[in-house]
Amino acid sequence: MEKPKHFLYPGAIYVSHEPSMITTILGSCIAVCLYDSVLQIGGMNHFMLPLWNGQGLASPRYGNIAIDKLIRKLESLGSSKANIKAKVFGGGEIIATNINQFMIGDRNIRIAKDLLHEEGIPIVSSSVGGKLGRKIIFNTQTGEVRQKYVGGQK
Amino acid sequence: MSEIKLTDEFLIEELKLRFEEKKESLKKLEKLTTELKEVNHKLAESEALKSHFISNITNEIVNPFTSIVILSKNILSIKEGQWERVMKMANLIFTEAFNLDFQLKNIFAAAEIEAGELFLEVSNVTVDTLINAVIDSFITEAKKKRIVFEFIKIETETEELRFKTDSEKLRLILSNLVENAVKYSKNEKIIIKREVQDGVLTISVQDFGIGISENNKKVIFDRFKRLDTGINSINRGHGLGLSINKALLDFLSGQIDIESTKNVGSTFTINIPEAVSDAESFSADGSDYIFDTDDEIF
Repeated sequence: MEKPKHFLYPGAIYVSHEPSMITTILGSCIAVCLYDSVLQIGGMNHFMLPLWNGQGLASPRYGNIAIDKLIRKLESLGSSKANIKAKVFGGGEIIATNINQFMIGDRNIRIAKDLLHEEGIPIVSSSVGGKLGRKIIFNTQTGEVRQKYVGGQK
Repeated sequence: MSEIKLTDEFLIEELKLRFEEKKESLKKLEKLTTELKEVNHKLAESEALKSHFISNITNEIVNPFTSIVILSKNILSIKEGQWERVMKMANLIFTEAFNLDFQLKNIFAAAEIEAGELFLEVSNVTVDTLINAVIDSFITEAKKKRIVFEFIKIETETEELRFKTDSEKLRLILSNLVENAVKYSKNEKIIIKREVQDGVLTISVQDFGIGISENNKKVIFDRFKRLDTGINSINRGHGLGLSINKALLDFLSGQIDIESTKNVGSTFTINIPEAVSDAESFSADGSDYIFDTDDEIF
C-alpha cells in the first residue's frame, strides 16, 4: 500500500494518525523519530540548535522545544509514554565555519539523549555524529527508518 | 637522589599547570553563569508576560471588536442623506478591522511556527505585484499620517521580475515591515527598494521615524517586546511582527538587518535566496529510497 509522503523541513514537526513516510535531510541537525508500537503511529522532529535562549519565538528549531512538543503531540493522539521508543539521527560535524556553531552537532546529540532520558523514553537505535549528512525516511506504521549518507548539507 | 628532585620539579610544574587549567575552567564557569542569569531573567519576564496575556487580549482584540459592533450599529440607525457621517464611521470600522485582521494573521503565524507546523509552498512569485499589493493594503493608514510610499526597483528588467519563494510568507514579512514603518513614521515618506542579484532577493523598507537605539536593536526580535515603555503589548510594538519575520526568514534561509539612528529613522533590509525545494531532491515517488539495497535500516 502506498503511504502518503511528508517532507519535514528544519524547525518543523510531523505527527499523524495516518501511516506515512516522513523524509528529511540532516547535517548537524537532529531528527528524533518516535514510534508507538502499540498504536503503530509515529512522528518526527528536525531541530537545528540545542536550546531555546528565550529570544524570538519558541519554535521547534530548538531541541528542548522540539523534543517536548513531539512527545506531547504523540500523547495527544493517544500514545502512552511507556510505549514510545526513540531513534535518533544526525548531529554530524559538516563544516565548522561559524565559531558559535562550533561542535553544534555534538551539542545537539547530547541534548537529544539527555532529554529523552529525562522523559524515560529509550533510544533503541541511532546514527549520529560523523562528518557526513544523512537522508532518512521513517515509516510511521512499522517504525522502520532507512538511512543513506550524503555529502555535507545543512 | 636526583631522581626525587626531578620528580619534585615535575610535580610543581604539574601543579602550576593544574592551577592554570582550574583558572580557565573557572572563567568558563563564570561566563556560563552569566549566560544562565540572562536566560533566567528572560524566563521571569516571559512568565510575567503570560500573566498579562489575558488583559492584552482584551485590549487588543475585544476592544476593537466592540468599536466595530457599536459603529456598525450606529450606521444602521443613521437617517437618509448623512453620507458624510456614514463615511466617517465606515472609515473607523475599516481601520479597526484592518488592524485586527493583521494582528490575528500574525498571531496565527506565530502559533504555526511554535507548533512546528510550517511548510514551504514555493511558487514563481511576481515580486513587484506582491510589493504593490502590500503597499496598497496600507495606503489608507498611511494617508492618515500623510505618508507617501516610494517604490524603487533597482535594475529593472523589461520583463516582470519573477522569483521562486513562498509568496504568503514573503507577504507577511513585508506587511510587518511596512506596518512598522507606517506606525513609527512621522508625516514623511517610506521608501521601499527591491533588487535581485545572484539569486538573492533584497527588499528594504526605510522610514524617517523615531528610530531605534543601539540597546534596543538587540531585543527588537523578542516576541511581545515593546520598546521604551513599561507595558508589553501584542499590538503596538515591533515585537510579535518582527519575531515572526525573523522566524519566517530563518525558514526561508534568509536574513534581516536593521540600520537605524534614533530620531532619524530605520531601514529594515531582508535578503532571501531563491528557493530550491529540498523535497525536489527526493525522487517523485521515493521508490529509489525504499528499495535501495545500500540503505541502512534502523
